[in-house]
Amino acid sequence: MTNDEMFAKIQARFPKLEKAAGQVKDYLTVRLAAKEDLLPLAKWLKESSFDMLETVTATDQLGPVDMKGYIRQMNFNPFLPEGATPQIVSAPTAAYPYRPVMDLLYVFFSVSEKARVFVHLEIARDGVSVPSLTPLFKSADWQERETFDLLGIRFEGHPNLIKILTPDFIQGHPLRKDYVHVKDRFDE
Amino acid sequence: MAMILEKLPGLTKGLPGGELLLTTSDYFIDLGRRQSMWPMTFGLACCAIEMMASYASRLDFDRMGVIPRASPRQADVMIVAGTVCKKMADPILEIYHQMPEPRFVISMGSCANCGGPYYDSYSVLKGVDRIVPVDVYIAGCPPRPEALQYAVVKLQEKIAKMSLKKGLATVQQEKGSRDINA
Repeated sequence: MTNDEMFAKIQARFPKLEKAAGQVKDYLTVRLAAKEDLLPLAKWLKESSFDMLETVTATDQLGPVDMKGYIRQMNFNPFLPEGATPQIVSAPTAAYPYRPVMDLLYVFFSVSEKARVFVHLEIARDGVSVPSLTPLFKSADWQERETFDLLGIRFEGHPNLIKILTPDFIQGHPLRKDYVHVKDRFDE
Repeated sequence: MAMILEKLPGLTKGLPGGELLLTTSDYFIDLGRRQSMWPMTFGLACCAIEMMASYASRLDFDRMGVIPRASPRQADVMIVAGTVCKKMADPILEIYHQMPEPRFVISMGSCANCGGPYYDSYSVLKGVDRIVPVDVYIAGCPPRPEALQYAVVKLQEKIAKMSLKKGLATVQQEKGSRDINA
């Protein structure tokens, strides 16, 4: 089954789905319009042979910040000389411009078809939770905990959403772009 | 303080007319300590690969009497080989306190010395000397196995100067290391 056939099959069921701007390698990469579609899509993918959830991860698409945690100018190029015209942004970079969103990524794998589907879902950076996939896929448990620990995304319906990687005394979520380190007992 | 050893054929036969050798007990105890430094077996990051290479047959740490021990209770030296995360700091402190006195610490590589390339990280301890007193630091990222063996030679020189006199100095001062509790 080629990517286009697969995409047509998925889109027949979920018409609001569209292809993502940046395709991951040769795999079918789609973008979800709303977080309400995530659980039905995952359930449908599980029933149609995509029975393995490989990855749950997320990226903070907010641009780079300086050492004090202040957000720099969008698409800021530190290597550009003063007064020079900005160079043309390359295609892979243009697909992921800096914007204040959390970009979630789910990777579904079909063991029988040997195919992968990458599902992007963009949510606001603060105060928004995402439905958890733990009722459908057991592998989502620790990966959602890691995403929560490092990026602070809350997963609704997760049975045990607590820190998994960082020690208890680390405050905040370190992979957020606006993270500012609070000194702990190991920092003088 | 001195003691007489009865059986020293290898040493005394070479001496003109002598079958008796007088020396200080400090010398013999330090000799035993420095010729059998048993490190604790653990590695934290890529420096541990270089540490394993120095244990292996090509560089052969055994010829210096360095034999890795699997328990901190049998170990004399702790080779901190690699990045010390803040989460790993407490287990390292626990291992250090489980080792019998006198205990020595070799800090191997930039990460264990000062945090190295992870100095600005939220999760890395900026030098293992913030939690345990360090005897020898090795620079490098990672240091070559020869550098680790040179550090052991330097530590042997340091142990040779140790004295058993009590009441004059703490164990840390006796070794010449910084006492972080003082």
